[in-house]
Amino acid sequence: MDKFRMIFQFLQSNQESFMNGICGIMALASAQMYSAFDFNCPCLPGYNAAYSAGILLAPPLVLFLLGLVMNNNISMLAEEWKRPPGRRAKDPAVLRYMFCSMAQRALIAPVVWVAVTLLDGKCFLCAFCTAVPVAALGNGSVAPGLPAPELARLLARVPCPEIYDGDWLLAREVAVRYLRCISQALGWSFVLLTTLLAFVVRSVRPCFTQAAFLKSKYWSHYIDIERKLFDETCTEHAKAFAKVCIQQFFEAMNHDLELSHAHGPLATATTPSASHSPTEGAEEERGKLRGITDQGAINRLLTSWHKCKPPLRLGQEEPLMGNGWAGGGPRPPRKEVATYFSKV
Amino acid sequence: MDKFRLLFQHFQTSSESVMNGICLLLAAVTVKLYSSFDFNCPCLARYNTLYGLGLLLTPPLALFLCGLLVNRQSVVMVEEWCRPEGHRRKDPGIIRYMCSSVLQRALAAPLVWILLALLDGKCFVCAFSNSVDPEKFLDFANMTPSQVQLFLAKVPCKEDELVRDNPARKAVSRYLRCLSQAIGWSITLLLIVVAFLARCLRPCFDQTVLLQRRYWSNYVDLEQKLFDETCCEHARDFAHRCVLHFFASMQSELRARGLRRDLVGEPPEALEDLEGGSGKAHLRAVCSRKQVDHLLSTWYNSKPPLDLAAPPGLQGAGLSHRAPMVAPGTDLSQHIDV
Repeated sequence: MDKFRMIFQFLQSNQESFMNGICGIMALASAQMYSAFDFNCPCLPGYNAAYSAGILLAPPLVLFLLGLVMNNNISMLAEEWKRPPGRRAKDPAVLRYMFCSMAQRALIAPVVWVAVTLLDGKCFLCAFCTAVPVAALGNGSVAPGLPAPELARLLARVPCPEIYDGDWLLAREVAVRYLRCISQALGWSFVLLTTLLAFVVRSVRPCFTQAAFLKSKYWSHYIDIERKLFDETCTEHAKAFAKVCIQQFFEAMNHDLELSHAHGPLATATTPSASHSPTEGAEEERGKLRGITDQGAINRLLTSWHKCKPPLRLGQEEPLMGNGWAGGGPRPPRKEVATYFSKV
Repeated sequence: MDKFRLLFQHFQTSSESVMNGICLLLAAVTVKLYSSFDFNCPCLARYNTLYGLGLLLTPPLALFLCGLLVNRQSVVMVEEWCRPEGHRRKDPGIIRYMCSSVLQRALAAPLVWILLALLDGKCFVCAFSNSVDPEKFLDFANMTPSQVQLFLAKVPCKEDELVRDNPARKAVSRYLRCLSQAIGWSITLLLIVVAFLARCLRPCFDQTVLLQRRYWSNYVDLEQKLFDETCCEHARDFAHRCVLHFFASMQSELRARGLRRDLVGEPPEALEDLEGGSGKAHLRAVCSRKQVDHLLSTWYNSKPPLDLAAPPGLQGAGLSHRAPMVAPGTDLSQHIDV
């Protein structure tokens, strides 16, 4: 338990480490899932290819979507995409950056699944057993005499050793070795290709859009933090609102009781307590309310936050119902190509 | 548990330690990958060589690229290489140093794979079984050349009907494995001797330059990390103030519309809280989108000179020997001029 806590602490030391940790975990989970999965080739001519294609393609799709869903930032991306511009222009570069970084991380588990499937070879064997060159590998003289459906039926059983009955035509081991060899070659080529692609993208990027990249990274991080801080502020506000509301309710109840029992023995008992509530912590709570004190105002605040986010300019108090773009506001940045600065 | 914690702490103390840790991790992953990989020689004439050599060379290439990908310093190096000069001169020596350190670390995992494959012998036997000279083995005297080729192609597959329990197969297989292991051990010995000599003889060369380059390459890495952290702090404070501004402006809007019902003991404007010490310090007077964008562009296009004592806005070169305020004894200029 302690070990896990320490690993989590190490991974959470910064945001990137954490995301890389999640990627690693998903990749391991993908490999583990494959080894736990019981591959079961149907060994029938039409069904083999369909089953294998399904196993090769459906789980990666599911893993990709799962990778996107598990990433908290997907809802942030959707929000930023859909919000009305209001007083803050939308920057497509930031949206692209956010989507690319999420997609890259979500692609790792599917790539691991496809690579492991190809390197293992069972899927490929199941899919292409009917396409084996019998003339070259087996009894070349007998093969042309067989009708095609019969040949297909025989060859479709290659993946299933218990029911294979074509040893007179083609030794099962030869066919299995041949197909597995091709599958493994494809698997390693796929791995090489994806690492090459990732390397080129990661290494060549600083030579091109580095300035634009720094900006997109900053603003995407900003959007994430701003959303969290807004939620925290709203929670504080809601708490303070609830406290003040309840206090006022009790005060009102007290007041009513006072009025109705003004001449009774309870009058002396209730008055001391009535004087307590306005002072203790009430000032602090009211301060937290920041002047927003009724349902209509809160609803208006939340609508305004969604429809019309404030401009990214501090130090000036502008009325919300002004001209909107006082001082020009944030302009949509163009895509920057920084190659003309490089003196290499 | 304590040992684990100490290990983690040790690895995080410097970026070099982190890189060494990652390099070792990748080497361990390579060993695991090799042992879990199911070797499957096709035992067919032309395919054997392709498969054997492909398996000996393709995974190392992929592991090398992985090693480069996983190492953060490779990106830092490319950024340093591609950046515009601005106020800070570029030193090709530093870039070369970073490149060589990245390459050395990335080469560890591929070498582990190649050595494992050679010492194990399966790849070699599969790739070169057809190239064996049949004259060396007396058992082939009675077979025709085509039969010999067919036999040799099946040597890597112990369970094949043609070659099962055949002493000739065992002889060829032993011969090839012995050759493979000899090559493997020779390469291991060569690498160790080269590494040993490089380490021992390095101080005989220009040690000062080496120390400087190591310092500045570490500096570049740390500077990039610190810049990212400072940007994060800045974004946090920017967001905090933005949100509070928003609440305050809603308040003034309500007041303007005359809709707000006054509470007893209404606190003063929330804005005044924002002028507190730490909030302002973090923002460093960069308070609008334009300013932030300008800051980030300037950071990329024109990094500040490496001269802390110079007044801000000094239009000079970075490691220039003209700067009179560099501390005595550093002598950077003469050595860094490559």
